[in-house]
Amino acid sequence: MAVKVAFMQSSDCWGCHQSLLNAHLGLLKILPALDIVYWPAVVDFKHDSLKARPDGDILVGFIEGSMRTNADIENAKLMRAKCQLIIAFGSCACYGSVHGLANQWDIQEAITRKFTEAESITNENPKEPKEHMPGFASKIVPLDEVISVDVYMGGCPPKPEAIFSAVEFLLGQKPQPMSETAFCNDCSLNNENCFLEKGTLCFGPITSTGCTLKCTDDGNPCVGCLGPAKSVSSRVGKLAQMTENLEQISSGDKRNLYEFLTLFLNVPLMAGFDLAGDILQQVKKTGETQTPLANLPYETGNIATKIMAFLKNRRDFTEISTVCDTCPRKIGSKSQMTKVKRDYEGLPNMEDCLIEQGYLCAGPITRAGCGGLCLKVNTPCSGCYGQTSWNVDQIERYVDVVKKGYNVALSKEEMLVQIKDKLGFAEKFTLATNKNYR
Amino acid sequence: MVKEIVVEPVTRLEGHGGLRIVIGDDGKVKDAQFNITSTRFFEKFCEGRYCEHVPRITPRICGICPIPHHLAPTKAVEDAWGVEIPPAAYKLRQLLMNAKQYSSHMLHFYALAAPDFLLGPFADPALRNVVHVINKMPDVGAMALKMMDFGQKLCAEIGGKSVHPVSAIVGGMKKPMDEAARDKFLKMVPEQVDFMLKTVDIALKVVTDYWDVVANVGVVPTYYLGMTKNGVHDIYDGDLRIVTPDGKKIDYDVHDYLNVLGEHVPDHSYATHMYYKPAGYPDGIYRANTLAMTNCADRMATPLADGALKEMKAKIGDVSHHTFAYHWARIIEAVESIELIAQYLEDPDIVNPDCKTLDVEPREGNGVGVVEAPRGILLYNIWSNDQGICNKLNLLVATNHNIAGIEKSLMHVAKQVFEDKALEGLKLPDPWIK
Repeated sequence: MAVKVAFMQSSDCWGCHQSLLNAHLGLLKILPALDIVYWPAVVDFKHDSLKARPDGDILVGFIEGSMRTNADIENAKLMRAKCQLIIAFGSCACYGSVHGLANQWDIQEAITRKFTEAESITNENPKEPKEHMPGFASKIVPLDEVISVDVYMGGCPPKPEAIFSAVEFLLGQKPQPMSETAFCNDCSLNNENCFLEKGTLCFGPITSTGCTLKCTDDGNPCVGCLGPAKSVSSRVGKLAQMTENLEQISSGDKRNLYEFLTLFLNVPLMAGFDLAGDILQQVKKTGETQTPLANLPYETGNIATKIMAFLKNRRDFTEISTVCDTCPRKIGSKSQMTKVKRDYEGLPNMEDCLIEQGYLCAGPITRAGCGGLCLKVNTPCSGCYGQTSWNVDQIERYVDVVKKGYNVALSKEEMLVQIKDKLGFAEKFTLATNKNYR
Repeated sequence: MVKEIVVEPVTRLEGHGGLRIVIGDDGKVKDAQFNITSTRFFEKFCEGRYCEHVPRITPRICGICPIPHHLAPTKAVEDAWGVEIPPAAYKLRQLLMNAKQYSSHMLHFYALAAPDFLLGPFADPALRNVVHVINKMPDVGAMALKMMDFGQKLCAEIGGKSVHPVSAIVGGMKKPMDEAARDKFLKMVPEQVDFMLKTVDIALKVVTDYWDVVANVGVVPTYYLGMTKNGVHDIYDGDLRIVTPDGKKIDYDVHDYLNVLGEHVPDHSYATHMYYKPAGYPDGIYRANTLAMTNCADRMATPLADGALKEMKAKIGDVSHHTFAYHWARIIEAVESIELIAQYLEDPDIVNPDCKTLDVEPREGNGVGVVEAPRGILLYNIWSNDQGICNKLNLLVATNHNIAGIEKSLMHVAKQVFEDKALEGLKLPDPWIK
């Protein structure tokens, strides 16, 4: 049975849709599973047909684009009413994207530049068009300040693989079918040497069975690969008890928490669509710690929720995956930044870190997920997947991170002086989230 | 009673728009509007940016044609700073442009336009889309997807990303193509040429089937704007060319654009109305895009495409006002693209590491960069200060050149439909997909 989906385009470029279409032959696999009830870019249903649907009639709504016009805001609210799940589709919806840079100015200044001052305009008294026009929001805000958002999918655009993972996940083709019983039931350590009994975190009580049992056979705890089971084992109480106070667990166990959530929610961490990370990001922003997986045993949902709540304020989470983690270039190379170079200067080599070669690359403060595509064509990261930390001075954070982990001969002050366009470099895709520019 | 017909939104296009037609008591069409309801102010927020970062921002103007929006501002900054790029970079950019042209034209033909022709104009709107075409004509659907895929993958190979490419830099390109990648794409070319020729057959059958429509609906005389290099069709490099409604061709250096192209701000559209300045507004309304390009071109750059151009011109004239012939012209441009892709892939400069000049220094001044995007001329005028910071940007964007022309043809067709009942006698073929 095909699932109803809707795509809404707000003020943007269509690039997220093009990225979905870039799956090309891959589309043939997924299209039969979708009943597309609204997608102006591709199908002919009009706005009235969307309005006429009962509330909650559509399972998944993708909202692409920035909240630039009043119509964008109205359409987002309409989608929220009609769709059960809303995906903020791409960096415009998540963070405002480059359009948020306009928040540096009063909207009237932008309107004046475009409609009255542009050199090629010839009207005697040109003015902002008003007839049947929606008007502009004074500042662009991220979608989740207009409506509640269920899943964030950053990227300008998100990779096709990311979009596919999302669609498959949300359509329930992932995770794998839940087993009736939990991993513990098959575990060779169930009767003696149980990790939980020894105070080591093990997710066997809530995880589906059906694997090769390699982890426990090799003397390691279960990390949750196969996702949740339909029922929990008798040791779930012990696990729940440990998650009551996660500060007390060992540092190795803490590092495993993020991996656990990623595996447990069954979305690959580095494959482009970082759903687990996005859920955590959502948790971080809204404070709501509820897993998006339906029909979990009560105890399982509780445990996953506690882990998310724990991770949301931790540096382990905020620093865990940046573009640098996926970049093939060498950090700690023979090169050293002795001045901040502009992109047009010289030509970097393909082996050394671009920062160490002197160039401004946003990799260290940018969320992973792209696979480092720009770096592979010798071009610095510009930050299109959004940041790994919010509500901080991004350029200060950048300089601090770079000074600490990269081969840089400049002082912090020297770097800050030499970076002329600070906002355009460090907040190119996210200025709409910066409340100092509202 | 006054009747208002509203189409909201216009579907199967990139962007935001609605149509509005007002019919008076007497049955006459009083007004026809094409309302473009979004704009994002790139002209403003590129101010203060590093000039070389403008091409990292502006591809977000259009996700279907981000490559022209990456290259036109790069050319504008090179023009402002007086930078010459190496031959290898020039060829890489031509290859990148043609890869984009190829995939965009196939997307446009198969995904956006074909449902109208294959299902016919009176088909169920719920089915009139590419998804249904793929279901009903899986062979054609798979071929179309493979063509788009080839173009997009080639864009990604050279540009780093197909949507929002990054590899052009003031002074050239950041990286040549790898030899292995070049070989891989070269091997795929013969199959693509075969697909292209099959597409030509499909397109010619559509033209023949719908000849009554092509020849009689929406035939609207306007001016045309395109680009040629010494009269030869070129999408990366050349002069602006205006074609008058009666077929006169006039060339202008791109730096003269402010004397040639005027922008009228209407009250009912965020996209402005472009016109040919010497003819005034609205008399000078022109159109851009594929048919404008073939109207401008004395000849195409490659043999198969040039043969196809001659065939079309023999049928509809050297300068054609047939709105439906835009699709035909699009196919001719796509043929040229695949021929040029083959030609550039075989050129050793494509893998030449000497693809970026080291001689780049910012200087104060303004520069103009023009390319032909898949939907029309794309012009960037960038003002740089002596530090290479962008002080000001003026933009004439591809689709924007067509808004006034679309509205003009909308009025024409509305009269044909509602006043002359011209559609009733039209000869339409049996739909391919029933």
